[in-house]
Order: sequence, then C-alpha cells, then structure tokens
Amino acid sequence: MVNHNKNSASQPAWVATAASILNGCFGDYLNERDNGLAIDMAFYRNNRPLELSGESLRVASPALTGKICVLVHGLCCHEGVWEFPGDPARSYGSALQQDLGYTPFALRYNTGLPIPYNGQVLDSMLERLLAAYPVAVDDLVLIGHSMGGLVLRAACHYGAGRDAVWVDRVSRVFYLGTPHEGAGLERMAHLVTKILHAVPHPVTALVGDIANQRSQGIKDLRHGTVLEGVDFTGSVPWLPSARHYLIAGTVTDDPEHLAAKLFGDGLVQPPKAGERVRLFPGVGHMQLAHDEAVYDQIKQWCASA
Amino acid sequence: MERRTLRQIRGAKDLVEETVDAAALAINEVQRKMTRVPYALLARIGPIAAPVQAIERTHLKIADSVYFSIRVGNRLVGKMAGFVLDQLEAQAQREGDS
Repeated sequence: MVNHNKNSASQPAWVATAASILNGCFGDYLNERDNGLAIDMAFYRNNRPLELSGESLRVASPALTGKICVLVHGLCCHEGVWEFPGDPARSYGSALQQDLGYTPFALRYNTGLPIPYNGQVLDSMLERLLAAYPVAVDDLVLIGHSMGGLVLRAACHYGAGRDAVWVDRVSRVFYLGTPHEGAGLERMAHLVTKILHAVPHPVTALVGDIANQRSQGIKDLRHGTVLEGVDFTGSVPWLPSARHYLIAGTVTDDPEHLAAKLFGDGLVQPPKAGERVRLFPGVGHMQLAHDEAVYDQIKQWCASA
Repeated sequence: MERRTLRQIRGAKDLVEETVDAAALAINEVQRKMTRVPYALLARIGPIAAPVQAIERTHLKIADSVYFSIRVGNRLVGKMAGFVLDQLEAQAQREGDS
C-alpha cells in the first residue's frame, strides 16, 4: 500500500520520471521482487499520493463538485504527462475544472504490470474514491492516454461485471492515442525477439533474452490485451452506459501522407473514421496528452448533451 | 532523508546489484559457449587434442574466476550500501518518532 507521510516533502520531478520509465520497462519484475522503485497505484497531486479519505480529498481540492474526471496516463509515464508545455499548472483536468466544473484526479500506476491487472486495481481504486468522496457524484468522465485507455476499458469491464457503483456514474470515456487493435512497435519487438532466438548463436540469444525482459505491460500492447487470456480488445464490449470518444494524431500534417498511414501518431495507428472519432493531423503520440486543440474537442464533447 | 526516498534508493541499489549479477552470469555463459567452439575444432586434431583440452580448462577457469570476482565484489558493495541505508532508515525512523 501507499505510504502516506504527511510531513515529507515532494520529490524532484526527475525521480518520478525515472521511476515511471523503469516501471514501464520492468515493472512486473520490480513488483515481484517488492523493489522500492515499484509504483503503487494511487491518485497523485503535486507529485504526492492522495489518501482516499474525505478529509484528505477536501484538503487537496477545497472546491469539490459532483462531477469528477479521472486521467490515466500511458506506458512509462506519470501524471506529469498531462501538463501543458510552458504551463505545468494547466492540464486537461485543471482546464475541465475551470471551464466545466469537473474535479480532476490524476492516476499514477506501474505501467509494467499486466493491463488486466491494472484494470482490476483501478476498478477498486475508483470504488474507494467514490466511497470517500464527500460530495455525491453524478458524472464521472474518464480520460486515458495510450495504454491508459486500455486500462480504463479493463476497469470498466471488471467494474461492470460486479455492478460497481462508479460504473453507473461514467458518462464519457476519452481514449487518446489508445492502441485498441494493438501497437505496431510491440509487434515489431516481438518479431525481432523471435528472430534473435531463432538464430543459433549465443550472442543473439542473449540479446533476445535481454529484449524479452520487457514488462508484461509492454507485451500486452501487442494485441491491446484488456482481459486475461483474451488478446483482442475487439472481443471486449465497450461499457454500454457510457459514450466513448476516440482521439488520434498523425506524425504529418497530411493524414493521407504515407508516413501518417504507416506510423500513425508515431506509435499508434489512428482508428477508422466515425461519429465519435477525431483525428488531429500533425499531433504526435505524446502531444495528444497536452494539446489545446485536443482539449477544445474534449471540452466540446463534455459540454454536449 | 524521507523514508519514501530511502526506499527508492534501496530499490535502485537492489536493481543495480541484481542486474550486474544477472549480466555477469549471462555473459559468462555466453563466453563459455563461444570459447568451446575453437577448442572443439582444435581438439579434433589427434596429436594436439590433450594439450588443447588442458588449455581450454585453464582458459575457462580463469574466465569463470573473473566473473565470480565481479559477482562477489558486486555483492560486497551491495551489502555495504545496504548497511548504510539501514543506518539512514533507522535515523529517519527516530526522527519520525520524535
């Protein structure tokens, strides 16, 4: 569990960044070894975990409202990914709070753990958040960047399966650059590892073994695994009571450019066009988490009836 | 120093120690496999087979002892760093209690 020491000072940002990268790459190993660098899932504010009690929540957010938005980052990241460049105080969460009255909660978690496992833990975290929240919640908006979108889908699935209260409050789920159909880079890594192991030479086998040490969280991105034993998100139903919005980017300003077709936003291919799908040409994978145009679209969808 | 920071430093120490240990073991194994190839070829030549095998054994013993030394040194440094961290944690505990 998270150790809350109220007298302690916040750590430098680079420590959180380094720990998040390590967790993304080897998080399942760190967790298995009970290593002090392994991140426990928690909602964070000012680089510190939030204790889920009414008093702590009131101290952290004096103006609590009945509308909550939860932000879930992607692989090797932490909640700092939501900060706008040049204005760290601004994020989709703080902007939604200012513009539409949503109280934001940014999650930090060990992205190297299996996505289904993180989904299960998030399900229970959201239950605890709503149980501790001092105000009745009538609207819950979920925003996931990259792997975070898959973790949200897993949490919704597990929450819906046990009729969790929080699931009924979810009105909208936003997926920013989420690899619902798998990530090409991980498919490539899987292929390279297979080839390295197939070459009958001890050095290539060693390099293959090292490459194979990447976390289960990364490996789950190959097919966009949301549930244990089910490799394709296509077989996992979307939470029927919520509206789902897909936001994607491309590496070039022209979405028809060959590079955009091949590489998508640099890591994830854009989804097929649809009513609740919006493509932002020229916006790269990481930029999707802190872009004014993307925020305007989220705000517009949040404000719609 | 904050206990969370100390826990992370200990985690980093453990990770480095385990990585060095695993790397030394793995590279040692690869070197053994690669070393065997030329010696196996030379050992097929009847008249020099016996000295080749003796040289191979010596070669592998020296290589093994080098990797063993790296692993022992790594463990020792890890133990010392762990001892320092124990002292710092005890101090942080006392400061927290008072």
